[in-house]
Amino acid sequence: MLVDRKNMLHVILLYALDHGSVKFNRILLLCKYLITNHFKNTFMKLLDNKMLMVLLILISGGVYIVGCTHKNEPVPASVSTGTVKTNHGNHIHLAGLTNGDSTQWKLDQVHSNATWSTAFDGVAAPLTGRFNSFGVADVSSAALQTNYVTKGQPLPDTSWAFYENVPAKTHFAGYVQINTSNTGEPGRDGGCFLTTMGTSPIVAGTQNLTVTNVAYIKTTSVEFDPAGNDYLVTFNFTWKGMLGAPLTESITGKLTYVPEAAVSTTESYMGLEFQFQFNCRDYGITATDIGSTITVDLNMNFNNK
Amino acid sequence: MDDSFFAYLQQLEVMAFFSGYPLIYATVVVFAGNQHEKNNFKTRATSLLPFAYALVGTLFLGFQLRKLYPDYSVEHLKLTMQQPLLIIWGLLSLLFWVPALAKKRVLSLIHSLVFFFFLIKDLFLQFFNPSANNDIIKNDMRIYTNSLLLNLGSVIVIILLSLFYTYYKKPLRS
Repeated sequence: MLVDRKNMLHVILLYALDHGSVKFNRILLLCKYLITNHFKNTFMKLLDNKMLMVLLILISGGVYIVGCTHKNEPVPASVSTGTVKTNHGNHIHLAGLTNGDSTQWKLDQVHSNATWSTAFDGVAAPLTGRFNSFGVADVSSAALQTNYVTKGQPLPDTSWAFYENVPAKTHFAGYVQINTSNTGEPGRDGGCFLTTMGTSPIVAGTQNLTVTNVAYIKTTSVEFDPAGNDYLVTFNFTWKGMLGAPLTESITGKLTYVPEAAVSTTESYMGLEFQFQFNCRDYGITATDIGSTITVDLNMNFNNK
Repeated sequence: MDDSFFAYLQQLEVMAFFSGYPLIYATVVVFAGNQHEKNNFKTRATSLLPFAYALVGTLFLGFQLRKLYPDYSVEHLKLTMQQPLLIIWGLLSLLFWVPALAKKRVLSLIHSLVFFFFLIKDLFLQFFNPSANNDIIKNDMRIYTNSLLLNLGSVIVIILLSLFYTYYKKPLRS
């Protein structure tokens, strides 16, 4: 007599109830065998028939439907009518250092950069470099301008706040270590560059924020850029250069906000791009193989993980 | 240094190669219908599916080698591989070039379902987590579309190669 597997399960269970002598673990083993086989058969059927296609089409359709809602996309700008359309959101990003607190945004230093460029010989194509060591901390206090024996960031990168729609509340401060300039030519970076800039070589394991080696900025006002979607930032730029004492100049730069975007369910990124120029001759830099105007680009990435 | 962002990018890379295969597989199998029918082309199409999958795996291997170029050292490999398990699993698809393994075409489907799972996971999170960002599912949508095209192309290439092979083999025998 043929007994299909479902019925066989019932038969065994009934037999087990009727015959108390049947060991429980043997029944368990038989049940396990039947369930495993039943699951295997169902799974194989699923893989081999039209149900799989229906399931895959449903899931694929779900991805397309959910992905095409456009709910997070900004409204595209209309054809220019002579007036500038701005689209400022309401993002607020505040600094913090607590890991796991998504309301606190941390500088992702290794994925950020501080670069400079100037016309070579004052006339040719740009000569460029980057500062390997920089931070978003306020070092305007003389007490903080010292050597820090550490391989990491010497100060917490928390001297900033960004309000997308209230620029008056936005502020930031930051610094670069001049002797960490990297143009890709070690001979220049560790040689004539240092003497030209009036600073000393890198000491391994030490972050040199002394007055001769640090250039820093601190905002004094931030406002909407009437010509676009960016922000105009007025700030104090302080550097000693080849002068006898640090000089502070008030400069205006342009800040661009790269809105936050999730890269996973627990982590988002946002960026701040800041560009400004200054005249290095004001700081006693007389070398003629670099132009007077130095352009600085600061591309800072922050995450909230 | 936390590289979860790069790990996510690498996951998208792997998905771009393999996540589209299940739907292509199901489509071919359903349209091929009952394999016992004496339709040579349909039977061949279904039997060639694992080879198409292996071709995608080969392209994936090429992509990984191109990313490593010109430094193929172990250190660089360790630095580049943010999702080693996923990449190794992806490279296992090369085994479907082995005819004995290719005969069990359902294995190629099971292999690719691992990558399809990420789509389901993201879709699930999107539905059940109100704060989930829509950008993740948008990324999935674009990547999935590319993967469908890649896998469809791979199936077409393999079928064409097979037809050419058969066409040129017959005159040689006669």
